[in-house]
Amino acid sequence: MVNTAENTQVRALRRSPAAHLWEDFTRGSVEGSHGVALHEVPFQTMVGIRVDPLSEAGVRIAAVTGGLPVRCGEVAAGPDGVSVLWLSPDEFLAVAPDDGGRADLVEALTAALGADAGQVVDLSSNRTTLELSGPSAREVLEKSCAADLHPRAFAAGTAITTEVGKIPVLLWKSGPDTFRLFPRASFADYLGRWLLDGMREFAAAGNPAWH
Amino acid sequence: MTTEHLPEHPDFLWRNPDPKKSYDAVIVGGGGHGLATAYFLAKNHGMTNIAILEKGWLAGGNMARNTTIIRSNYLWDESAAIYEHALKLWEILPEELEYDFLFSQRGVMNLAHTLGDVRESVRRVGANQLNGVDAEWLDPKQVKELCPILNISDNIRYPVMGATYQPRAGIAKHDHVAWAFARKCDELGVDIIQNCEVTGFIKDGNRVTGVQTSRGTINTEKVGLAAAGHSSVLAELAGFRLPIQSHPLQALVSELHEPVHPTVVMSNHVHVYVSQAHKGELVMGAGVDSYNGYGQRGSFHVIEEQMAAAVELFPIFARAHVLRTWGGIVDTTMDASPIVGTTPVENMFVNCGWGTGGFKGTPAAGLTFAHTIATGAPHELNKPFSLERFETGALIDEHGAAAVAH
Amino acid sequence: MLLFSCPNCGPRNETEFHYGGQAHVAYPEHPEELSDREWAEYLFYRENPKGLFAERWVHSAGCRKWFNMVRDTVSYDIKAVYRMGEAPPVELAAAAATQAATNHNAPEGAKP
Repeated sequence: MVNTAENTQVRALRRSPAAHLWEDFTRGSVEGSHGVALHEVPFQTMVGIRVDPLSEAGVRIAAVTGGLPVRCGEVAAGPDGVSVLWLSPDEFLAVAPDDGGRADLVEALTAALGADAGQVVDLSSNRTTLELSGPSAREVLEKSCAADLHPRAFAAGTAITTEVGKIPVLLWKSGPDTFRLFPRASFADYLGRWLLDGMREFAAAGNPAWH
Repeated sequence: MTTEHLPEHPDFLWRNPDPKKSYDAVIVGGGGHGLATAYFLAKNHGMTNIAILEKGWLAGGNMARNTTIIRSNYLWDESAAIYEHALKLWEILPEELEYDFLFSQRGVMNLAHTLGDVRESVRRVGANQLNGVDAEWLDPKQVKELCPILNISDNIRYPVMGATYQPRAGIAKHDHVAWAFARKCDELGVDIIQNCEVTGFIKDGNRVTGVQTSRGTINTEKVGLAAAGHSSVLAELAGFRLPIQSHPLQALVSELHEPVHPTVVMSNHVHVYVSQAHKGELVMGAGVDSYNGYGQRGSFHVIEEQMAAAVELFPIFARAHVLRTWGGIVDTTMDASPIVGTTPVENMFVNCGWGTGGFKGTPAAGLTFAHTIATGAPHELNKPFSLERFETGALIDEHGAAAVAH
Repeated sequence: MLLFSCPNCGPRNETEFHYGGQAHVAYPEHPEELSDREWAEYLFYRENPKGLFAERWVHSAGCRKWFNMVRDTVSYDIKAVYRMGEAPPVELAAAAATQAATNHNAPEGAKP
């Protein structure tokens, strides 16, 4: 979002889909060698891109984002904190942080596509981001995600479209022990509570907040 | 329920004859429909020189795998007519067959969970009443009165917003039904031939004249196919096609419990149907697997989803255990209605496509199919259920009332 | 739980997919010239073999692309996965052939 004075006012009014769970996320997060933490990364910029990556428009778009991923699992990391996740051979999701990201991302991508076949759509409010991190994060996910999350199949830097607790999500392993889940806004409450429930057993060893 | 006396199962209810060289008619499939057809052929049409060919053992297919629900609250006139006729036959058959197969008219509820469900259900109640089918609309409180263990609170994902209720509907003991028909068939002279798989058909031009089986060739004037999920396989052997897709449909039972569930509860929306059998086990049906399959088993996630829904609707079930799950092969049509009638092959007739309605339809399927085989033309009740309807476009869409999406 | 190999995404649980029925059923070239019988065949008649079956699936929870698969309907063994527009492997071609194409239809003039 371009930082005009008007937009600054609008930004103050935004509510993220899991904001009501932030306190629960903090209480439910566990420290230590079996720890796992959950929090929401609100208001990321997300742009849906549909384009043939080998077309001229695809090449122009790749120039904006700093590349397009070529196969399932790949994430292309570009300048200004922009990352592009692979959704399908001709569909991608560009993600940038709310602050510090490239403010004119949507406009730049729209211009790059021009009148060619394809689509650039601002999907920023479609999904939110839940970040699950810590030594037990993978174990929490594996309770209800059927995809193979072993590091040999799902290394840091990989992102796939799959289901967690029956919810369709984009699952991005953004660090060795860190997973970013992108559920649609209306599923954020369910998925947030679902993950909290999966985290509870790791609190039993020592987190007084749950006792 | 558990206090009711179960009849003893006698050692022999029917002979186990070798196939003869020829019969006036051969029924392929020794399940409920095949048995009922043979019974009505003998009783109503005097055709007693007939045989039922069963590739496995008697009533070991869907007859052994269904959830025994009997009801007639279907939407359209044609379906209401045939299923209501079946229900009326169910009411008199224990006496006629001289065998108490424990037909228990404990009522069947079809729950509504959304406004769309409510509108469709109320419409169906109205249609049922116009067709003389006993049907009522219940509000959630009335639902709770009839089935106190149902969770009618509004804080569940799919709250109960009401239900259709058919008091005369219920359940019967499926294996006793098969034995009742088999004994009477046998008494009337019908040969019930088990372990006899049909491997081909003999035709003179376009007219069927015999059946090749794993136990030799059998000549016959007429052939009636009543093989449910395997109908397409037989049709292919006979050289014609059926608009049927076969899907696994699963069911399961719990261990035995004290009587807790006085009626039958079905929910199309969350895919659960539950009754408590006479012995005390909770009998539940799940959904179909989306893909074609002949494996007589189903996907685990279907059972998982079904159990999740069942526990939400009946919190008390959380303490029960799943004892056994299994799958049957249902033969589904595009309009969720059966096909009972003639085929492109002369003197060959087909009864299939009952999908999830097969058990409840058994007596009417038998009655109308026997009429069709004996006279060469359909009975009034099965006339609308011809193969031809897929060409004329006169479909009978019962996806709403079939209660299991397929 | 069946494991399907999506041509784009690799092996995933069957719950991520939706079924699309028989593969390789072409829309009639001249629908207006079809008889009622032929139109019914196109609309309502699909193969239902006990054995190998060429069918369509869509990876709805993943890349949202359709693909073809040859599967055994008894053992549920998956024999081949291939993209839309491609033909099945030669040795499995029979699975994709329809009865309609091999003239098992109702004889001329026969009324079902």
